[in-house]
Amino acid sequence: MKFSYNWIRELVEGLHCAPAPLERLITMKTAECEGIEAVGSLLAQARVALVLRAAPIAGTHLTRAEIDAGPPGRRTVVCGAPNCRAGMKAVWAPVGKKTIHGVESDGMLASGAELGINRDHEGILELDAEVDAPVGAPIPGCAPDSVIEIDNKSITHRPDLWGHWGMAREVAAIAGGRLKDPVRLSSLPSAAPGIRVEVADPALCPRYSALVLENVTWMPSPLWLEWRLSSIGLNPIGNIVDVTNYVMAEFAQPMHAFDADKLKGDTIFVRRARAAERFAALNGEEYTLDSSNLVIADAGGAIALAGVIGGAESAICESTRRVVLESATFQAASVRKTSSAVKLRTDASMRFEKAQDPANTVRGLARAVELLHAVSPGIRIVGGVADVARPTPPPPPISLPLDWLERKLGRSIPAAEVRAILESLEFGVEQAGPRTFSVTVPGWRATKDVSIKDDLVEEVGRMVGYDSIPPRAPLVAAAVPPANPERDFQHEVRRLVVDLGFTEVYNYSFLSEEAARKFGYEPSSHVRVTNPISSDQALLRRSLVPELWRNVIENSKHRDSFRLFEIGLEVHKDAYGAKPGLPEEIPHLVAAMYERAGDGRVGLDELKRVAVCLMPGAAIEPCEDPSEVEIYQHPARAGFVVWKGERVGRLFEIHPSLMENGRAAALDLDLKRVMRLGAGEVKYTPIRRYPSSAFDLSVIAGEREYAAALEANLRRFAGPLVESIEFLRVYSGKPLPEGSKSVSYRLTLGSAERTLESEEIGAIRARTIDGMRGLGYELRV
Amino acid sequence: MLADSIQELEFGSLARIRAARTPEELEAVRVEVLGRKGALTLAQKEIGKLAPAERPAFGQILNGAKQKLEAEFDLRKRKFDQTATGARLAGEWLDLTLPAPPPRRGHLHPITRIQRELEELFRSLGFAVLDGPEVEDEYHNFDALNIPAEHPARDMQDTFWLEGGNLLRTHTSPVQVRGMERLGPPLRMIAPGRVFRNESVDASHEHTFYQLEGMMIDRDVSVAHLLYFMKTLLTAIFHREVTVRLRPGYFPFVEPGFELDILCLICGGTGCAVCKQSGWVELLPCGLVNPNVLRMSGIDPEEWNGFAFGLGLTRLAMMRYGIDDIRHLQGGDLRFLEQF
Repeated sequence: MKFSYNWIRELVEGLHCAPAPLERLITMKTAECEGIEAVGSLLAQARVALVLRAAPIAGTHLTRAEIDAGPPGRRTVVCGAPNCRAGMKAVWAPVGKKTIHGVESDGMLASGAELGINRDHEGILELDAEVDAPVGAPIPGCAPDSVIEIDNKSITHRPDLWGHWGMAREVAAIAGGRLKDPVRLSSLPSAAPGIRVEVADPALCPRYSALVLENVTWMPSPLWLEWRLSSIGLNPIGNIVDVTNYVMAEFAQPMHAFDADKLKGDTIFVRRARAAERFAALNGEEYTLDSSNLVIADAGGAIALAGVIGGAESAICESTRRVVLESATFQAASVRKTSSAVKLRTDASMRFEKAQDPANTVRGLARAVELLHAVSPGIRIVGGVADVARPTPPPPPISLPLDWLERKLGRSIPAAEVRAILESLEFGVEQAGPRTFSVTVPGWRATKDVSIKDDLVEEVGRMVGYDSIPPRAPLVAAAVPPANPERDFQHEVRRLVVDLGFTEVYNYSFLSEEAARKFGYEPSSHVRVTNPISSDQALLRRSLVPELWRNVIENSKHRDSFRLFEIGLEVHKDAYGAKPGLPEEIPHLVAAMYERAGDGRVGLDELKRVAVCLMPGAAIEPCEDPSEVEIYQHPARAGFVVWKGERVGRLFEIHPSLMENGRAAALDLDLKRVMRLGAGEVKYTPIRRYPSSAFDLSVIAGEREYAAALEANLRRFAGPLVESIEFLRVYSGKPLPEGSKSVSYRLTLGSAERTLESEEIGAIRARTIDGMRGLGYELRV
Repeated sequence: MLADSIQELEFGSLARIRAARTPEELEAVRVEVLGRKGALTLAQKEIGKLAPAERPAFGQILNGAKQKLEAEFDLRKRKFDQTATGARLAGEWLDLTLPAPPPRRGHLHPITRIQRELEELFRSLGFAVLDGPEVEDEYHNFDALNIPAEHPARDMQDTFWLEGGNLLRTHTSPVQVRGMERLGPPLRMIAPGRVFRNESVDASHEHTFYQLEGMMIDRDVSVAHLLYFMKTLLTAIFHREVTVRLRPGYFPFVEPGFELDILCLICGGTGCAVCKQSGWVELLPCGLVNPNVLRMSGIDPEEWNGFAFGLGLTRLAMMRYGIDDIRHLQGGDLRFLEQF
C-alpha cells in the first residue's frame, strides 16, 4: 500500500516530521515500511509555459516552438508532439539544452506521462482548462512527493490503514499534529432516496448506501487529481472513476459508479447469485456464479460482483449522463471467498476482506459528492441518499486492568500515560475502578482489529515503545523437559553415519509421477499435491530412494567415489499414523556409496557395516524370491536387513540400468522399527573369569552358498559352549575345485563356571567337523 | 695386602667397563668381575680366611669396590640401551603429512548443525524439543492458530494443499498447538522442522525450508521475558552481544505481535547492503500468545499466558555461513556439503 506524504500532510495539521523520520516512526509504532520513493522530481522545476509561436521544422514531424515560461525570457524548444500549437498553455521542463535538427532546444515541453501525472504519451500536457495556472508558475496541485510504501501483510488486521485518512490518524498520534476530517456530511441533501435498494442478506451486506447524480460530464480529471492518483500507483481514467478511486484511497471505502440509464428497473438488489448465474465483468471476463457469491443486481440480473468488480453492461462511459454511486460494506469472509473463487483480487476486494467500518459508506458519499462538484461541472444530486443498514450494536467496552497491563508488558506505565495514549488513538477511556479503565473502541478499529484487552496491550506497548521495556529473566520452576526419544535417536544415527564417512544431504519431499514409476511405485499410491508448483513435484515421496539416486547421479559427475545419506520422512497414503486423519510419516535412513571402478563389493560391505554398527547382530537376508526384489535393485545383490528377527530395511546395489557408469550400493532403513527394536537398557554380563580356547575350521562350500548358513550350522554343531564364531576369510581358486570356495572361521569356546578341559574341546571340535561332514561339506582343518 | 689387590681389581675393572664398545663386551666384563664366579665374588669368599679384626676393614673395601663397579656398569648399560632405542626409533620415521586412507568423517548438513546447536541451547534452558507431522490438517496449521478460513492472513502463507483436504505445514507453529494439547501448561518448548510454501524457487526463495518454533506458557509471561529469551538466544547463536529491537508485526496467533530486528552485524548499524542501508536486519517474528489460541487448546488465558517466536533456520544458516544461494541447501551437491 502506497501513501503520499503530501496527502497525509494535508490531513494532519501541524505535522513537523519529514518523510524519512516519519517512515521510521511508522515502522517502529504502526506497520512495516518497505521504503520511500521520491516521485515527480521533474515537477519541482516544471513551469507553466505559453507557446508564442509554433513552426514545423521542414522534413520532420517536429515543431520549433517559441515559448514564455517566465523569467529570464523567451526560449526556443523543439517539440515532437502533434498537439503543439501557438497560443496553448503547456508545461516546460528544464532538461538541458541540446541541438535537434540544427535547432538548439532549451528544455522540453512535457507530456503527462513524462511528468508522471498521468499515462498520456500522445501529446504534451495542455493547461488551458486549468484555471489557476499563470505563466512561469509551477503546475498547480502537482508538487513532487514522497511515497511511503507499507508492507500489506503488516496491515492485514487494520482496515483503517488501507486509506490515507486512517494512516493520517496514526501519524497524528505518533508524530504529533491534529487530524483534519475532510468530510462534510452536510453536502448530502436530506431528501427521499433517489433510488430503491433492497438487501436480501444483511449478514453479507451490513450497509448499502447509494446516491443518484445527473447531468454528469465524462472528462479527464484536473491535473491535481490525476497526479494524486498517479503518485500512489493508481491509473487516472476519467473524472467519475477517479473520484471513486480517490475516496477509496482516502477512506479505504471502495465505491462504484453505475450508469443509471443502463439499469433495468428502479431497484438495486443485493442478493446471493443464482445457481450458474452468468456475469460479464468490467475486465472483459465472464464468470459463472453460485449462491456463495453475493451480487448487486437490477431487474435484469447481476450488475456487479459485490465488493470485487463491477459489470460491463452497466459501466459508465463518455456518453453517461446519470450515475448511481454505490458505497457499501460487504462481509469480509464472503468477499474473500468470492474473490478467490473467481481468482480476481481488486483494490476493492483487498479492502473489503479486511472488514471495513460501515460508518464510511455515507461519509464516502459525502466526500465524493464534494469532489464531483469540482470535477464535473453542473452535476446535480437526484433526491437523497438510499441507505440500508443492518443495525449493529456498538461493541461492548473493554475492561483494562492496569496491573494486568503492566504484567503483560513487563514495565510500569503511569495511568495518565495509558489514558493519553488510548485517547490519542481515539479510544474512549473511562475510569471503571481504582486501577481499571473501561475502554471504548472506535468504529474503524472495532470490525476485526480490537476486541479484547490483549489488543489494547499492543496499542499501549507500541506507543510507549517496546525499546523502553528492559529484558528480564522469568522466575520459573526448574524442571526437566519431557524427552523426545525419536529425535534423540535420529541425531544419534546421524552422528554415527557421519562418523562412518557419509555426508548428509537434504532432499525435497516431492516426487514426479515419472520418478515414481521409474522406481516401481504407482503414482496413485502417493499423497498428491493439488496445487503443485510444477508437475514434477506433484507427489509426496513414499521412498527416499529416488532422490538419493538422483544425488548419486549428480555427484558422480564430479567424484569417483563418495558416500552420502539422508534422514527424512516417507509419507504413506493408506497407512494412518498416530495422528487421526493424517497419513503416516515414517522416518527413514537412506545411505549410498558410489564407486566408479570396482565390482561393487566395497560399497555393499561399507553399508552393511553401517547397518551392523547401528544394529549389533543385524544380518542380511538375501531376496530369494524375485517378487521381493524392487525394480530399482540389482536382482542378484538385494537383501533385507534383519534385526532381532524383524525386517527393518533393505541393502542392495542400485540396478545397473539406472546408472550411467560405476556402481552404487544403498541402504534403506525404517528408523521407527530400528528404534523400537533397539529400545531398552544394556544389561551387563560378567566378564568371564576362566580362559577360553579357540580353533580354526575352513569349510569348503559351493560358490553361491551363503556364509550365514554355514555359520549357523557350525554354531548348531559346536553347541552351547561356543562364545563366538569369527569369520576369517573366504578363498576360491587353486587347489580348490572349480565352483567352490573355502570359508574359514575361528570358533572360540569357553564357560562361565570353569576352564574347559582339552579333551572336551577336542570333542566339540570333532563333533562340529563330523556334523558338517554329515551335511556333505568337506573341511580343511 | 689383600686390600691392594682389591683396589687393583677395581681400577682395572672400571677401565674395562669404560672401554667396552658393545653391550656384549660390557656383559663379558660383568660376568668376569661381578658374576657368580667373578673375581670380586671370589674375593668376597676370602673374608672368612682373615683374622676377625681385619674382616670389617676388608669388607668395607670390598663393598665399596662392588658398589662403584655396579654403578658404573649400570651407567654404561643404560647408555648402550638408549643408543639402541634411539636407533630403532629413528628407523621408524613416517611421513605424517600423507593423507589418511578413507573413509574420512562425513559431514553434517549445515542446517542440522545449527539446529542441533539451538536444540542444545534450549534444552539447557529447560525447553522440550517437540516434533509434529509435516503433513498437517487445516485445523492445526490455521484454525487453532486463530487463522480461520477466509481470514486474509492465510494469504501470508501460500499453501500446498493435498488430496483429501490436508496440507503441507506452512510453518512450525502447529507444533505449538500439538504441544499445548499434549503437555498443557506450564510449557516450554521448541519445534524445529521442515516447512513448505507454494512459491517458486530462486536464489533467495525456496518452497521447502526450515524453521524453529518456540513457545513458553506460564503465569505472567511478559514482553520483558520474551526480550530476555530472544537476547539470550541470539547472543548464543552469534557468539556475541547483539542489540535487538521490537516493532509491531501482525500474526493472528500472537497479540501483541512483533517483528524482532537485530542491529546489523555486518555494519554495526551504519547501513550496508546486507541491511539494505537501514542498519537493522529483520530476524524473527514473535509475540505474546493470543488468548484465543490458548483457549482453543484448552488453556485458560486468565490463568496462563505465554510468548511464541519463529526463527528461520534456513536464513540463519545462510547468515552464519555466508551462503548466497538458498538452492544449495537442498541441492545435494557434495562440493557444497563437504564444506561444513
